[in-house]
Parts: sequence; C-alpha cells; structure tokens
Amino acid sequence: MSSLKSMSALHGIVSPGRYGKQDGEPGVVASERRDIGLATIAARKGHEADLTAAVKAAYGAVLPSGPGSAVGPGVRFIGIGPGQWFAVSETLANEALADDLAERLKGLASVADHSSGRAIIRLEGPEVRAVLAKGLALDLDPRVFGDGAAATSTIGHMGALLWRDGEAYDIALFRSVGGSFWGWLRSAAAAFGLEVVTTS
Amino acid sequence: MRITCPYCGERALDEFTYRGDATVKRPDSLDENTAEAWVDYVYLRDNPAGPHKELWHHGAGCHAWLEVTRDTVTHEILDVAFARKGC
Repeated sequence: MSSLKSMSALHGIVSPGRYGKQDGEPGVVASERRDIGLATIAARKGHEADLTAAVKAAYGAVLPSGPGSAVGPGVRFIGIGPGQWFAVSETLANEALADDLAERLKGLASVADHSSGRAIIRLEGPEVRAVLAKGLALDLDPRVFGDGAAATSTIGHMGALLWRDGEAYDIALFRSVGGSFWGWLRSAAAAFGLEVVTTS
Repeated sequence: MRITCPYCGERALDEFTYRGDATVKRPDSLDENTAEAWVDYVYLRDNPAGPHKELWHHGAGCHAWLEVTRDTVTHEILDVAFARKGC
C-alpha cells in the first residue's frame, strides 16, 4: 500500500507574523498543530462497555459519555456523539494513531484515520474567547467550559470541533475550510492583534 | 428557537434539520393488501395544533437523530430524546 505524505492544511495560506492591531501584546496567538495523529472511533453495536474497558486498559483513559475529553498517556479522546470519539495524539503521529487504535480495539470499534484530513488550529491568549464569540454561539466561560471541555458546532458557519487543553483552545476543521477559517480568524482577531507562530 | 440536544446541550436552531412526523410507522410488509397502510405512511399526516412528536437531525453537532416534542402553536420544545432507543 502506498503511504500518503503528511501535509500542512495551511501551507501557502498562512504566514507567521503579526496581523491586525500592531502595538502591545497580541490578544490571540495562533499556531497549527501539524503531524499529529487524528482518528475517529465508533463503537460497534453492543460493544460499548467492552470498548470502554479496552481503551482504559490500552490507553489509560475512560471514554467520556458526553462532549468532553479523557486524556491518557499520549492520547486524548474527545466525545463527538453517542458512541463516537475523536482521538488526538502527538506521540502516535499521523496514521500511526489509527493503526494502533484499529489493532488494539479490533472487533469493538470501527476506526478511521483522519490525520491530515483536518486542520488543527491552537488559539491562546487573553482575548481568545472574545474572538470566538464573534462566530461561535457557545458559552466558553471557564465555569462551564473548563479544561478538557469539548463541543462540536459551527464557527463562522464552518463545522468545527473545539476542545480546551489547559488555557489553550484547539479547533479541528476539515482541511478544505482551513483557508476560509483563516480569513474569518484574521478579521475577527484584528481588533485585538493576532500573532501567528508556526510551531505547535 | 433553541433545542436542548441530549448529547450536546442547548443549541441554536440552525444546527438542526427537520425531518418530519416521528409517529408514522413503516409497514413491515410489501403485500398488496398493505397498500392503504403504505399510503398512510408515505402521504398522510395529522396536522395537530399543539404537541407534535417530530424527528430532527443534529447535523452541525453530534449527528444524532432526535425525537423532539414541539408545540406547533407556540413552538415551545416540550421534550427532546434520542430517536434511537437505548442511547
């Protein structure tokens, strides 16, 4: 089988630098998380409990029953719907994550590789919530959207999966709308100053 | 109008798509003597002024099919549950 090359979704679209308001500290710092493993997991009918036990044994995480994260060593599992999860890993890069999940969860879940299929954009900084509020109809106040919280919704009418990792907000978009999202982000964050860094 | 998805929580209407009456049942048989039941299933709908059970798809969220009880007069959402039982 031929292997696919991992490519940045924003290569040639986004350049590092300062955008919008130039003076003072940037309100938002954006970076693309590249070369990470992404996969979806869908429980096979009647195997939900076995799947939860297998994930706990193999990855040290208890699959969340709602929109939220469970983090084991190296892999984050995010609830995206009933019986469905999105897995994210830096240590199991690119397709290695889906290969590993498919092997360890054989017969219990259907696993699909999504690495390079999504653009993962990390937003940090004091004004992230103010920027997201311009396009996302969700309450991100830390009292209701704490560390590890997750939601599938739309940002600027583009389908997005959002989760909180510490003080950072990670956004997964289909890579085909990466450029459109960048256009939205650049406009929405201009008033606060946007700093784009490339490294994750 | 907002719908409280049992998985995602309260979300705006534009995340959902309306499918239709949730109470109609597809006939099990294709026999000729079930023609009337098929006509009923495909074409005939009640038009209640009041509570109505209907199917909605949460396409911009968790992708679950939901059974929503909505008052057709006031648009008040009285109940939301997964259409698939045992979720």
